[in-house]
Amino acid sequence: MTPSPCPVHETMLALKKIPTEGRVVHPRSRRLIEEVATLIQDIVAGRAGAEHLPCIDARTAELCAFAGDPAGVETGLWLTARLAEHTEIFRSHALNRNCAASVCDHLTPAPCQMACPAGIDVPTYLSLIALGRDDEAIEVIRHDNPLPWVCGLVCTRPCELMCVRARIDTPVSIKFLKAFAAERAMSWSRYDNPHKTPATGRKVCVVGAGPGGLSAAYYLALHGHTVRVIEALPRAGGMILVGIPRYRLPSDIIDREVAKIEELGVEFQFNSRFGKDVDLESLRAEGFEAFFFAVGAHASFNLGIDGENDFPQVQGAVDLLQRVALGERRCPGKNVVVIGGGNVAIDAARTCLRLGSEQVTIAYRRTRKEMPADLEEVEQAEEEGVHFELLTVPMAVTGENGNVQALRCLKAKLVTVPGSNRQSPKPVDGSDYAIPADAIISAIGQRVEQRWFERMEGLAWTHRDTIRVNTITMETSLPGIFAAGDAVTGPATVIEAIGGGKRAATAIDRFLAGIPQPKLPPVPMRRQRVPCFDVPAHTKMALKRPEMPLLGIDRRRTTFQQVELGYTENQTREEARRCLRCDICRRCGKCVTICKEKMGVDALALGYLSFEHPEESDFRYTDERCISCGACAANCPTGAMCIEDRGSERILSLCGTILSRQPLVFCADCGAVIGTERYLAFIRGRLGPLAPPPQNGDGPKCDVCARKKGHHGDSTVMATP
Amino acid sequence: MVFHKGQMVRVLHRSSDESWEEYMDGLVGSRGIVTDPDTQINDPDSLIEVSLEDKGTYRLPQDCLEVLE
Repeated sequence: MTPSPCPVHETMLALKKIPTEGRVVHPRSRRLIEEVATLIQDIVAGRAGAEHLPCIDARTAELCAFAGDPAGVETGLWLTARLAEHTEIFRSHALNRNCAASVCDHLTPAPCQMACPAGIDVPTYLSLIALGRDDEAIEVIRHDNPLPWVCGLVCTRPCELMCVRARIDTPVSIKFLKAFAAERAMSWSRYDNPHKTPATGRKVCVVGAGPGGLSAAYYLALHGHTVRVIEALPRAGGMILVGIPRYRLPSDIIDREVAKIEELGVEFQFNSRFGKDVDLESLRAEGFEAFFFAVGAHASFNLGIDGENDFPQVQGAVDLLQRVALGERRCPGKNVVVIGGGNVAIDAARTCLRLGSEQVTIAYRRTRKEMPADLEEVEQAEEEGVHFELLTVPMAVTGENGNVQALRCLKAKLVTVPGSNRQSPKPVDGSDYAIPADAIISAIGQRVEQRWFERMEGLAWTHRDTIRVNTITMETSLPGIFAAGDAVTGPATVIEAIGGGKRAATAIDRFLAGIPQPKLPPVPMRRQRVPCFDVPAHTKMALKRPEMPLLGIDRRRTTFQQVELGYTENQTREEARRCLRCDICRRCGKCVTICKEKMGVDALALGYLSFEHPEESDFRYTDERCISCGACAANCPTGAMCIEDRGSERILSLCGTILSRQPLVFCADCGAVIGTERYLAFIRGRLGPLAPPPQNGDGPKCDVCARKKGHHGDSTVMATP
Repeated sequence: MVFHKGQMVRVLHRSSDESWEEYMDGLVGSRGIVTDPDTQINDPDSLIEVSLEDKGTYRLPQDCLEVLE
């Protein structure tokens, strides 16, 4: 794939060409252009600080103002226009140290970081965890995500799906490592908030205390604004509290992380529903200047079948999960049927088991392959005894005297509908049958409750009945009003809501300051560049992703205790060492090409470098074939591949993974390093008949000593052992 | 087409869906992995989360995506 052009890199190349073109001749203009080129070179190399951009602006202005050189002025105007057109990209390079176009070698972000909707610097915090520096890891994470512990337990982990290690064996267990570090940091009282900027005196109202609202409140508070969170429920958490069961996410964890946000001065107003208890006018009258809505999608869709509204035992999954989350422990029925195949259906089914239901059946109208729920959730539900009725279309709820007795269904088969590229369930005539049930739970999707926004005229909605926003800034159609989370995306993920809240907080801060909003989505920020640490190749290959230990099955079926018990400390440190450090190696493949095509050695089995067609990878292979020539390291654009002499060995490493370790050969006369045995043999092979004959008795000699000896009558062609 | 988590996809063309924004034109041609399909009801109209190589993670309409596998 052709790399996308990077305006910063292109500008640097264009400026470097100017002195050679001879068009700009005045020394002052040339000096200014060279200085700007140097500053941009710093940015491209990841060495820039916050002062670089103002410095470039000042020199460009000076260039434009110097009337003594028209060619210099022309260059200055071109530069000014370029800086203005690509402001956001220059800022993301200089301040975030990331090149989203992956052109600037030192700024190419790791795939895991780019995949994270909140832009967390994954390789940095994994390296810190590997080194046992959990509190620093949490500090890095909390720059981009205020809820690392929550995400460590329930994140859908897009980072792991993009993890390059998966091309070798399995992805690094990023999610669970985060949970370990958060728990350890909290336990050791080293879970600290970042520094707040001084108070601005501006007031922002956040509606909804779910992940999106908490994220926005956190970042707004860090910006120094006064924040109040309005929440309809009696506790903070939103969907992570009432939509995710306690066996996946204990409420204490939510409470501890919310408490850290509260420490920043965020005020929570519970049991207050927007549109009923408070409205825009009353809040504006209190001095709030900007609003952020993250109200979630809490309303269930109806089944639309006969009998649905005739029995109190028919209920929505979200309502059930919410009541249980807030403390209710009443068993919905001994024989429960849950309708749906998504994560909420699985959560409802597993919750019913824990409430005492003896038989829980999930009725889904397609096959297991089409089931949208996460595979792990489905497997855990099956282990716990949830029964699945697939290709089942609900037709009616039947019962007597106000009590449900059965769910009448039809069997279905999947058929391809003309004009559609997906298979749809078609009921089979005469296949109707009844699933006995005394409670029926509907889990066929959620929607945003629009009625609370009826008085907000001008608020635009999508045809999906979600709030329409500009996804770069999360601005709605009303000025000063922003939104994110499920209310914008429809039912989605926790980390997306967190990312949206963070994006909105930045936009609100700019709105309050009167700064124009960005035109491109934010680029994640590289927080640190942790030095690589040695891991032998065989260890790197031998380390396997650990299995997550689970609670005993009987306790899982009967209590709401956390099912996933977490890794041990040793497992955590070892797992973190599996990271390939894609923040340093940008997988350009130059090392492989040089080794194979230029040197003809082919010692690097790094098939994982290809995204689309990964081939076999084995770090251990290099030690068998490497000649320690260093060509790969010399051509590595980022310094990921290193060759160095340590003591009596020459070591080749890739981001700390030791690929080759070979004994050095020293000059018998002066003691200088000559190379390795394999390297010298390789050179002898290349020289062929020109190579000097082996020297008997004499030790190997370096070039200098060999020449000295040659001066006295011996060969001067090559020093060999 | 039902999208599944982990499927490799490409952004084939721009979408006429209202959720498509101007900056997304720059995503056309990018490859990536489905990170969060519609986990509720497999609605072909719902937006799905896709992580694109070197571009980041976006929630996109399904009609602009092509499965690579």
